[in-house]
Amino acid sequence: MSLIAPADQEKLREAFNEMTSPVRLLFFTQTLGCETCLETRQILDELPPLSDKISIEEVNLILDGDKAKHGVERVPAIAVVAVVGVDESKQVRDSRIRFLGIAGRLRVHLAHPGGAARRRPSAGTDRSEPRRASPPWTRR
Amino acid sequence: MAFVSPNITAFAVEATEYPDLARKYHVSGVPKTVVAGNNAEIEILGALPEDPFIDQALSILSPAASEPEAEPKR
Repeated sequence: MSLIAPADQEKLREAFNEMTSPVRLLFFTQTLGCETCLETRQILDELPPLSDKISIEEVNLILDGDKAKHGVERVPAIAVVAVVGVDESKQVRDSRIRFLGIAGRLRVHLAHPGGAARRRPSAGTDRSEPRRASPPWTRR
Repeated sequence: MAFVSPNITAFAVEATEYPDLARKYHVSGVPKTVVAGNNAEIEILGALPEDPFIDQALSILSPAASEPEAEPKR
């Protein structure tokens, strides 16, 4: 049974269509002592079928070296990295965004990377020049 | 903010899953944002509109943010 509801899958599929660059989700896990790692992995595994731009890479926090940790010290955790460029110029750009804990909120972030944009602007704020940066995976 | 500055890393923490972090940062409700750096910490409670949020977060760069609180006068 799918952990992401069909209606949410459809929303995610539409949101993922906005992505212009591939995104890799680094999933930090360990074999023992992680109650929610399995469920997190199940949620993550449901994302690539929704978009060919999403891939999952598993990092074992115990077995893999410090270099692979990206500053993560707990599991389950997810790091979002964008893959920009093509073929030989392909580069991985770290978004420096980490999610600690089960991945329920990750799908919200991926689907609405400018979530704060939906809040009403404060009174007297000049909105003529938005200063929000778009995430690297939605830049054209 | 993490997108635009290599000096910022954003951690979204599931507070119920990490009670030790929730205790460490005195989390009694969510969302709560803690900006740590420059020898100081700033706590932002609730979901603020974008501009006040950024203003509060950037206030950690002010010299006063890293100064210890003055003792009250007697």
